[in-house]
Amino acid sequence: MPPVSPYRRARPATSNFEDLLRPQVEYLYRLAWRFTGSVADAEDLVQDVLLKLYPRTQELLKIERLRPWLARVLYRQYVDSVRQRARSPIATYAEGEDNPLDTLPAMTDGPEEHAERSWWREHILAALERLNPEQRTVLTMHDVEGYSLEELETILEAPLGTLKSRLHRARQRLRALLPMELFSAGERVNG
Amino acid sequence: MECRDFTLQLDDYLDGRVDAVRQRSIQGHLERCPNCRSRHQHAVALQAALRTLPAPTPHPGFVDQALSRATRAALSSAHPTWRAVIGMAIAATLVLGVALGVFLATQPSPVRTVALTLERPETVRLIFNSAKPLQAATLSLALPENVELVGYGDRRELSWQTDLRKGGNLLRLPLVARGTAKDELVARLSHGGSSKTFRLKFEVDNAGKSGM
Repeated sequence: MPPVSPYRRARPATSNFEDLLRPQVEYLYRLAWRFTGSVADAEDLVQDVLLKLYPRTQELLKIERLRPWLARVLYRQYVDSVRQRARSPIATYAEGEDNPLDTLPAMTDGPEEHAERSWWREHILAALERLNPEQRTVLTMHDVEGYSLEELETILEAPLGTLKSRLHRARQRLRALLPMELFSAGERVNG
Repeated sequence: MECRDFTLQLDDYLDGRVDAVRQRSIQGHLERCPNCRSRHQHAVALQAALRTLPAPTPHPGFVDQALSRATRAALSSAHPTWRAVIGMAIAATLVLGVALGVFLATQPSPVRTVALTLERPETVRLIFNSAKPLQAATLSLALPENVELVGYGDRRELSWQTDLRKGGNLLRLPLVARGTAKDELVARLSHGGSSKTFRLKFEVDNAGKSGM
């Protein structure tokens, strides 16, 4: 790893923060969407994380493998938000001076995108929503994002045995929800 | 190997977590047992499908907006708070500006009309502009019979305490219309013995049902 130059140290925190995080925001958004299954919640989750990270810019500069570290922060924030949701029926947002029209959530989950998806993917997404948050998280991080269970031990801060057990139950549930015929038919439709 | 043993070891086998001896034993069983072979094919197909599961990309401008908000919030004394709300897929979004310039105004607010589509969850956003910070204000919602708050089923009344900041405060209401009757949602904001009531009238379009 190259030494940190005096020039870099002298840069304002905003520049360092943006340089470090800009390449990671889409990745964070993708993970957030996998956790929450919602565009609006994914945007909020990423925004929450960025707000918390900015004051820790100097700490971020010293982290060698940023993605797993960020994934852990995102997951903690997600767990907090699930707990918060359980306590409060609805949250209010203070939006400062922003024009509310600028804060509208993305419409990337619109009709066109739905039309492009193959129908069996819709079935999978619906089945994932029926898993509990812990099962959905370990399954999407392992089977979709490709993290190993050893990496997830650090990211999700849970013992290997617990993660294996959650993954096993999540897969069993998915297999029960998504019979083999679905994939055979999907191959015919898509092939 | 029995089928039960295979079922127990299927995930380890899929993940390459079995040693050579167990691997040979499993492969031998798969050659002999059509049921377990089918179970294995199903698991492999599901894994292949999961690996290609797409995720949406953020809307253009989101990255700039999110980074800018994070840095601006830290640089200003007024930290916006962002908290997760009820999770749902947003089919459409409607912004309503409900001015609370003078919170204790005696004039009733005009009734605003919101368009919903039958059985389609939509998020209605109410912006409460408060002239001053309000600690522990009480917000109450009374929903009409034909409109549900997503995740709350038949519950028609909700009330909770919240802090309002000076300026804009956004409240997201994920709603779904269950009927076409024209009725009103009543939101009541109370603080220190005073209150203000806002009314939203719903016009429900049943176009979503017409093609079924």
